[in-house]
Amino acid sequence: MNARRIVALARRVMRQVLRDRRIVALLVVVPMLVLTLGAILFRSEPAPIPLGIVNEDAGLTTPLTGKLVIGQLIVDELGSGDTFELIDVDAGETDGALRDGTVQAVLVLPESFSAEFQKNRQAILDLRLEGSNPSRSMMITARVTEAAMKAVAGLAAAEMGLPGAASAGGEVKLPVTVEATYLYAGPEFDTMDFIAPVYIAFLALFFVFLLACVAFLRERSQGTMERLLATPATRLEVVLGYMLGLGLFALMQVAIILFFTVWVLKIHYLGSLALLFLIVALLAIVGVSMGILASVFARTEFQVIQFIPLLIIPQALLSGLFWPVEEMPGYLQPLAYIMPLTYANRALRDVMLKGWGLAEIWPNLLILSGFAVLFIALGALLTRREVA
Amino acid sequence: MDAVVQATDLHKDFGPIHAVDGLSLSVRGGEIYGLLGPNGSGKTTLIRLLIGLLKPTSGSVSLLSQAMPDKAILAKVGYMTQASALYEELTVRENVAFFAAMCGEASQARVDEAIALVDLQDRAGSLVRTLSGGMKQRASLACALVHQPRLLLLDEPTVGIDPQLRATFWAYFRRLADDGVTLIVSSHVMDEAERCDRLGFMRQGRMLAEGSAAELRAQAATATLEEAFLQFAEGSETGGR
Repeated sequence: MNARRIVALARRVMRQVLRDRRIVALLVVVPMLVLTLGAILFRSEPAPIPLGIVNEDAGLTTPLTGKLVIGQLIVDELGSGDTFELIDVDAGETDGALRDGTVQAVLVLPESFSAEFQKNRQAILDLRLEGSNPSRSMMITARVTEAAMKAVAGLAAAEMGLPGAASAGGEVKLPVTVEATYLYAGPEFDTMDFIAPVYIAFLALFFVFLLACVAFLRERSQGTMERLLATPATRLEVVLGYMLGLGLFALMQVAIILFFTVWVLKIHYLGSLALLFLIVALLAIVGVSMGILASVFARTEFQVIQFIPLLIIPQALLSGLFWPVEEMPGYLQPLAYIMPLTYANRALRDVMLKGWGLAEIWPNLLILSGFAVLFIALGALLTRREVA
Repeated sequence: MDAVVQATDLHKDFGPIHAVDGLSLSVRGGEIYGLLGPNGSGKTTLIRLLIGLLKPTSGSVSLLSQAMPDKAILAKVGYMTQASALYEELTVRENVAFFAAMCGEASQARVDEAIALVDLQDRAGSLVRTLSGGMKQRASLACALVHQPRLLLLDEPTVGIDPQLRATFWAYFRRLADDGVTLIVSSHVMDEAERCDRLGFMRQGRMLAEGSAAELRAQAATATLEEAFLQFAEGSETGGR
């Protein structure tokens, strides 16, 4: 193996990439754009959900509090936060309002609501949901239940003659409060902080994979690979030259993405930044070697595009980006464990959210290095097949 | 003097196809050897076998007295294909310097010399992408000879270029041969054959006949090489049955 040849190869690869401004933009600007979009979406306060109200509750009279309309207490509680925008709906038009989209859900409080509550000591809420977005339906149900509990809890306190009665305009206290303590991270960590580590990893892997795959394919399709192999340069030297040249770009990209996430988007993270860089850099190297290996199986650039649904999207789905690997069905887990992204995600989350160090995450790094070595070896081996 | 290129009883099968079928070849130092034959006669396969890009099914090759495959000896061999095979995003000089580096040639002067040899000094700083087809072919030749190879294997180097440039190319080849470089040039154009010192007629992976243009014409008793080729081809067919 000749180091000077490898360096000459790497320099040539870098020069080629730098000449193509679009690739540079793809590597640098696009990840920043995608990360910013993610931060905006995950961090912005959601717009209030339009909630229809049919309030026909006639209320009741008790000796202690006088006239009491429990339905109204619930409606007041619902309207007090930013979650809902209340819209009065006529009883006969609930389905129509749901269908034309003016409201996402309708809470129907019948005339006898307070009376039924007094009789049964239980409130049954008639909530009609639009229902096409299950997670939103669940969220609405939970928030409405929560508001109703709060309203009724105040009522119970009033009836028991405790301070903080609902009618007194004072603070309403739930009978149960939770004082949460966190082993890892903390209340200041939001969804974006949880998503960001894997987001970074995915972007680093994806773009570097594409770049390596196309660059190495071009080497073959334009005939320069054949020419290279007719010089003293060996297949392994060519592959290592690519690793070095594209690897340096990958490192640059990783540095920019990390800088951007940490300082511009102000993602919360624990652990060491140097360790984060190491993990993502290692993943980017895996991406280069994976791209070179995959390019052996492509004849055209269009076929490279076909690798995205085949190699990249499954990794995005199964590596723990959306669901923790441990919670996936047992027969899917082996798939997750043959994907490099799984190990990078795990290491990144351990460092960023749990503050773990090299002592805890090294097995993941070892496995990532193993993937890189395996892909490089296979790439160098299989290049032969194509040339011969 | 030893033969610069020595191939003995070469066979190369691609599945049921015998692309090269029991071919032996001996090329002396400083001569231009023309491989002539129709498309599909095995010229490209033979050249790729010689340089070690393909592994022969059986038989042996030695280049510059070195048994192939041998990566180190390739530093003294130049290779050019019909397609220009250059990096389009790089300049002419960057391309030539890169292939020089692959062969261990680091001298900037050598790079400039190779570019001057193919008369591209005015376009040395241009991106290959912006060159015409003929210029690309010249740049490709510069890449093949920048490291001062002692043997040049040129696979149809003059296909698809205009007659004027073709004449220029042959002038380059002759100049190189005069400097002691050995050249193997494949072609399916018979009028180029006249410019070679020695010729090999190839057909169906076999050598039909070898010799200088004059010898081959005399042996076949024909006026032109083209007629001579047809004569030999016919002879092999009747002989084979």
